[in-house]
Amino acid sequence: MPFSTIATPEARPVANYKMGTRMEGGRLLYISGQVAWDASGNIAGKGDVRAQARQTFQNLRQVLQAAGGDLGSLMKITTYITRIEDFPAVAEARGEVFQGELPASTLIVVKSLFHPDFLIEVEGVAAV
Amino acid sequence: MDRRDVLAERPVERGRGFMPGVSVNPARVLFTAGLTGRNPDGSLAAGGMAPQTRRAFERLEAVLAQAGAKFDGVVKQLVYVTDIDAYNASGRAERATFFGSARPASTGLVVRRLADPAMLIEVELVVDLAGSPQGKPLLEKFNVESHPGDFYQGVIVNGGRLVYLAGQVANNPDGSVAGAGDWRRQAEKIYENIGHVLRAAGATPTSAVKETTWVLSIDSWRQHGTPVRRAFYQGDYPASTLVEIPGLARPEFLVEIEVIAAVA
Repeated sequence: MPFSTIATPEARPVANYKMGTRMEGGRLLYISGQVAWDASGNIAGKGDVRAQARQTFQNLRQVLQAAGGDLGSLMKITTYITRIEDFPAVAEARGEVFQGELPASTLIVVKSLFHPDFLIEVEGVAAV
Repeated sequence: MDRRDVLAERPVERGRGFMPGVSVNPARVLFTAGLTGRNPDGSLAAGGMAPQTRRAFERLEAVLAQAGAKFDGVVKQLVYVTDIDAYNASGRAERATFFGSARPASTGLVVRRLADPAMLIEVELVVDLAGSPQGKPLLEKFNVESHPGDFYQGVIVNGGRLVYLAGQVANNPDGSVAGAGDWRRQAEKIYENIGHVLRAAGATPTSAVKETTWVLSIDSWRQHGTPVRRAFYQGDYPASTLVEIPGLARPEFLVEIEVIAAVA
């Protein structure tokens, strides 16, 4: 593993994610904020945050794989959503994608994303 | 250097000025603070989105130049705007004049407010630098303009191991929220937690490279959180960005702070 997990009993995460990660080798990969574009350039799940979350995480994985990594290579993700009430559905979709513990993680509710139809955007930093 | 662009894009994403992913061998990496359209005297560039965007990128260009880089070295950009229609109408084209054909990984967000309510755009960059880290200090923190803010405009990491912290919130080890409704208590708890995680990573507050502070109210944060932040960093600040947004993961959370640090 080109990174290690940072944990301390004095400060624990509020959910199933790593409190910190430290890069130990490999290449540093920055991934653009991914949204729910499908392969044909349409928004997958207009108005449906769960469908958008699934497509978004699939896109994230695709970029990781193209860079020689996979979801397990992620040191950090940031999930941006536009409505706090969408968070449970996003967390559920995210849980389906990630096996076990999430990377170090941040969740932010923004005013909007760059297109009004997007309900979720996820960016990541990985060691590959 | 040794940059690799990750062309995992859908047709819809082509020609949009960014790359889905960019990887580098992180020998020397520059993190900039979020920079805005401020003039040297602290006032905002007059005339709205286009002048503010131009000014923000001129300032970033100066930070890059100080580190020996140009826009083609940018690995990642994060653009915060408060008015997406104005950005699409006139900001985007200004940005393009600086990047030319260079395409970084990118995230764009519409937020509620930036440091000054009249600010329309703020941009931060992660940049791949040329040269060997040999013989250089682990961190080089610098400003290219004098400014009154508690941050450095650029921080270079020379050959260190990068540490990425999860967004830190005011939670106790048992999962309960510390200081519901209390800005100062939440700030104290968050910096306490950041201190613990940094220590566990072999780092200290001085090791912080970049900080992003997400708050529900910039005014409340300045009044109650800034003194706590000053006490934590004691003058040795990271590059930083302060953003007002409408919500965090739990309704009790008033603040969330992300830190990137580096250790030898």
